[in-house]
Amino acid sequence: MVGNKRLYWLMIAGLSIFAFLWLVPILWMFSMSLQPNNLLARTTSNTALGLIPIPFTFENFVRLFTLGLTPRWFLNSMVVAIGMTLLVLILSSLAGYAFARIPFKGRKIIYPLVLAGLVIPEQAVFIPLYTMFADWNLHSSYSALIAPRLAVPIGVFLMTQFFRGIPVYIEEAAELDGANRWTIFTRIMLPLSLPAMTTLGILTFLYAWNDYLWPLVSAQSKEMFTITVGLASIQSNFAQSEGLGRVMASGVIASLPVVIIFLIFQRYIVRGIALGGGK
Amino acid sequence: MQSQSTQSNRSSHFSSQSWRQNLWLKNRDSFEGYLFIAPFLFVYIIFLIYPFFKGIWISLHEWNLLAVAFNPDAKEFIGLQNYRDMLWGRGMTWGLDNLLGWRLLGLAMLAPIWWSVQRGALRSKAAIWLSLSIVLLFGVILGIHPGDDGRWYDRRFWSIVWNTLAFVLLTVPLVTSIGLGLAIALNRQSPIMALFRTIFFLSQVLSVTVVTLIWQMIFSPSQGIISNLLQVFGLEPITWITNERLAMPAIVIATVWWSMGFAMVVFLAGLQEIPTERYEAARLDGAGPWSLLRHITLPGIRRTTTLVVILQIILHFQVFGQSHLITRGGPNDSTQVLVRYIYQTAFRDSELGYASGLAVLLFVIMLIFSVIQLRLNREEGV
Repeated sequence: MVGNKRLYWLMIAGLSIFAFLWLVPILWMFSMSLQPNNLLARTTSNTALGLIPIPFTFENFVRLFTLGLTPRWFLNSMVVAIGMTLLVLILSSLAGYAFARIPFKGRKIIYPLVLAGLVIPEQAVFIPLYTMFADWNLHSSYSALIAPRLAVPIGVFLMTQFFRGIPVYIEEAAELDGANRWTIFTRIMLPLSLPAMTTLGILTFLYAWNDYLWPLVSAQSKEMFTITVGLASIQSNFAQSEGLGRVMASGVIASLPVVIIFLIFQRYIVRGIALGGGK
Repeated sequence: MQSQSTQSNRSSHFSSQSWRQNLWLKNRDSFEGYLFIAPFLFVYIIFLIYPFFKGIWISLHEWNLLAVAFNPDAKEFIGLQNYRDMLWGRGMTWGLDNLLGWRLLGLAMLAPIWWSVQRGALRSKAAIWLSLSIVLLFGVILGIHPGDDGRWYDRRFWSIVWNTLAFVLLTVPLVTSIGLGLAIALNRQSPIMALFRTIFFLSQVLSVTVVTLIWQMIFSPSQGIISNLLQVFGLEPITWITNERLAMPAIVIATVWWSMGFAMVVFLAGLQEIPTERYEAARLDGAGPWSLLRHITLPGIRRTTTLVVILQIILHFQVFGQSHLITRGGPNDSTQVLVRYIYQTAFRDSELGYASGLAVLLFVIMLIFSVIQLRLNREEGV
């Protein structure tokens, strides 16, 4: 038993070291964002390999919000991510409820056809999508950034699975009380599906925030970049133009929403991945 | 008036069986059903199904982005020529010794497959199909190559496919083994383990551009943290990104750091499904930690492992940002991958037709793995 305990603490020690090393890249970015630019131009390892921000400054963050396009990009990402999340939730819950509960004609054909869309990757459609949005003169707009992603059927799949798991007698009772379908859906099914909607919503938000290929292709004017694309555009030439500290501050700002959401809703994210991974 | 009549219909759903009312109910179901799915179906068809087929259509054309934008008729239908230019060459021959080492290695996969059949882990029908594909691919197809005076029509294509494959072959085993190891170590209920799980998953939620921003700094020979550390010990800095042999390992390391959390979480879910009684029973029989791991844990998550591996293969075949932003495909094309090639062919060279052909090919590769995954899931479901 004593040997087991020693082994346990040895494992904890090993894991702690590994976990620290795992965090070093993030710590380093954070630390650099808090050091003066002119220092970073000379050395990136001032204190403890640069992992501790001494000398310390907030200037990079202050500058970020007064100069440059980072605040605009941040706002764009917020609009796109929130818009996409809300729309995915609406479309997926409506369709998922119908596929799970309404025995409409053709359901057994349409549902598999919708799921078949899961095997089509973004890279297989981004060129034709580009030509379509170009024909419509819609590039560099929020709708172009949001719309293509709404078509991905994973949300419909998750919501259908969820609604199928809700016992039928709840609806039957409501139906006997004279409730129509819309009332049943909005008053009973939607409140019951709050956990599933939270999971789907968070995963959609994370995806939208981090998406790179489509915004890179579609957002052509600098003003319409999302933060992900904007960050890519300044990292290729940061040494001369922006200064390392400010680029790192942009990286911190770009990560902040997703990290906060992850820390708050970790349980939902993990469940969603386990669920989606198990599909 | 109307609401009254629907009211009576609804209650009769459970009591009366009048056929006329049933007919109305059925039609009402269909009407309402389509109303509910209409919004999704609309975007699904316009933004996924239609572009998918349009992509195939574009790939059958000589289609210059700028020319067609100017004049919609400036495209030319050329049938499968884009695919021929991609896959084929001039003066092709077949040789037994072409890529011999890799082909032998591929054929050697037959042994574990038939060993699995012997142990009853794989159905013999599946094994026959697998073996046939392996013999066809490694025995026959990979023997095709340009002869002495021939050449590939697209000199870059196959080396880019190979780079992508190398990226997948390096990344997937690393992600899977680290994810599995951490999942087994962290599969305990305690606050400190929960903290570890949070830390190891944290890098997964970052966007690709943040990951590349950090890692291109880490790998920088003049400012990078690795060089700074080496300097403390008086060692020479490593030129990761500009070295042809180290550029691919560099983006693999960054990718493993970025995407390991997903594998770990799926493994943790898989470990939860192993009944604890099995462990208790084995412990009563005097099994130690190693034998528990070998005889209960690993067999218990074999399905999960297959799933993780296939999902990773599908995911990492789509690698783009790491190559695009850390190494820019270089040096000397050594980290050029398929999606970046598609992106550049379409939006730098304006060759939409050829780029669409490449995208269709990528789709086919990923479809193969998706079908394998669906098959495995179905077997599991039975």
